[in-house]
Amino acid sequence: MLEHLIYGFTVAATFQNLSACFVGALLGTAIGVLPGIGPVATISLLLPLTFGMPPTTAIIMLAGIYYGAQYGGSTTSILMNLPGEVSSVITTLDGYQMAKNGQAGPALAVAAIGSFFAGCTATVLVAALGPLLTAVALSFGPADYFSLMLLGLIVSAVLSEGNVVKSIAMMVAGVGLGLVGTDVQTGQQRFTFNIPELSDGIGFAPMAMGMFGIAEIIRNLEMPEVREALKTKISRLWLTKEEWRRVAAPILRGTTLGSVVGILPGGGAALSSMGAYTLERRISRNKHLFGKGAIEGVAAPESANNAAAQTSFIPLLTLGIPANAVMALMVGALIIQGIQPGPRMIEAQPDLFWGLIASMWIGNLMLVIINLPMIGMWVRLLKVPYDLLYPAILIFCAIGVYSLQNNSFDVYVTVVFGFLGYLFSKIGCPPAPMLIGFVLGPMMEEHLRRAMLLARGNPMVFIERPISATLLALAVIAVAAMTLPSIRRGKDQALAGG
Amino acid sequence: MRLRPDAQDIFAGVMFIAFAAFMLHLTFESLPIGTARRMGSGYMPMLTFGILGALGVAILLGGLFSGPQPIGRFAWRDMGLILLALTVYGLTVERLGFVVSLVLCIGIASLAEKVWKPLRVLGLIAFMLVLCWVLFIWYLDIRIPVFPWSR
Repeated sequence: MLEHLIYGFTVAATFQNLSACFVGALLGTAIGVLPGIGPVATISLLLPLTFGMPPTTAIIMLAGIYYGAQYGGSTTSILMNLPGEVSSVITTLDGYQMAKNGQAGPALAVAAIGSFFAGCTATVLVAALGPLLTAVALSFGPADYFSLMLLGLIVSAVLSEGNVVKSIAMMVAGVGLGLVGTDVQTGQQRFTFNIPELSDGIGFAPMAMGMFGIAEIIRNLEMPEVREALKTKISRLWLTKEEWRRVAAPILRGTTLGSVVGILPGGGAALSSMGAYTLERRISRNKHLFGKGAIEGVAAPESANNAAAQTSFIPLLTLGIPANAVMALMVGALIIQGIQPGPRMIEAQPDLFWGLIASMWIGNLMLVIINLPMIGMWVRLLKVPYDLLYPAILIFCAIGVYSLQNNSFDVYVTVVFGFLGYLFSKIGCPPAPMLIGFVLGPMMEEHLRRAMLLARGNPMVFIERPISATLLALAVIAVAAMTLPSIRRGKDQALAGG
Repeated sequence: MRLRPDAQDIFAGVMFIAFAAFMLHLTFESLPIGTARRMGSGYMPMLTFGILGALGVAILLGGLFSGPQPIGRFAWRDMGLILLALTVYGLTVERLGFVVSLVLCIGIASLAEKVWKPLRVLGLIAFMLVLCWVLFIWYLDIRIPVFPWSR
């Protein structure tokens, strides 16, 4: 493993990749810190910047954007009580209280330190588990693969917020939208309505930008602007000895929990930070302080969500399966670069795999450097009023989408998905499963076809092969478990931060 | 079980059913289904939209009893302006160039503000023109006509 890591560092440490990592983390923080913009929106917004780059550089930059956006979201949560996404809701509980008590500095510091520690640990885990899982995945046949994707899809739908059936329907609808375009096997046009632009399928970036970027703008506009700008000055961006003692164990526990949850399909940042917070509140000696500005209540979830952010790359890099919406964006970016994510990637693109892992570590270090000394600048960015912000985001989307293929058609696709995204939010349909289904759909079709061809059209192959049968059984259990009222209530509570 | 309709679920159910029905119709109309062993290009669509239709029915039926969750008010004006601004950008960028389309896009979008302040909007347009020019045209060098006459 060590020689691979060293190889990774030689890839990541080239000037081009280092600067991509730095610029990514910087831009991600800058946009993520803007109120009301979560990591998914940030990444889809910045996706067009990476298209001209070589694949390794592009994915390193996107990863940097991801951590940056996530970390930026924590800053907004702590200083302004404005979580950009679900995973930072938890940070507001104690982080904002700390800021109100005049402890904004230590809160920001512990978020950075916790994230850094968690990031480093989880990176080692990715490096160790990646090759192992890849070896397992390579022994998978098409039937096993199909079942694995089905399991991944179902678990991520089941774990997302709200009604499970609606999430699954959104996912299936996403698979359906992924079918639009030229059928790879037969060359036939499917659902293209003779529109030439549709023969390559619906654009992934316009879809993501519409559903997450544009719809978000409309949703923010309809809400009355409530902003409590922070009055207190930020002093002492470091921890006292006493504070170090209090946060050490929560950081460790948060990292462990986050690393495990991150690997699960549908896991990722939101679930892990809630889990870590709930755990801490239950076992901490300072239970009475939780909700009133307990530093443990910032340390644990911040470590957990960063650990999960790293380990959620594991299923993507080894199996080619995105665990959440952010990873679906990564798959989309890789496919645009002409790389099919999957178990062969580690051998076919070792520079990408190991370079990315090394850059994760470098990126985490950069985050600390970017965030702590430059906090004053981020605070100023926080204060940009929304009426200046949203037209700027909109024009960025417009230019970015247009420049994908120098074609206005993609702009219109963004308009359509902007409308749909807004509509979905009104009828309680989560957009993330749709994006994941959209990305996985074409791969599922290919594996299904191959599996059935090999089995001479006998669908029993999915049950006869032990690996496939196990995976399908797990999927059934996941669905069954979620229909049990007691478990469902537990999940709703966890996601509501209760 | 008492009938307690849930507007959100019923709307979602109907939406999924309608989409699935439309796509299934297209599938059977124009795509060869093939057999499970040798799937035609219509096989996967048939499966996918068949399942989607069934899920839609389940959501619709469940929605008759799970209520009530009203569908919130639609911010038609905000939504219309934002989507219009994007559409106008798409329509004008090739014909009138980057500068005009940017001004139009931001101008239309700014109408969604609660209090419309012309000077603020002008300032924003000027700032974004410079920023986008530096970033997209100068740095990223995207192929886009800048002025109406530069093509």
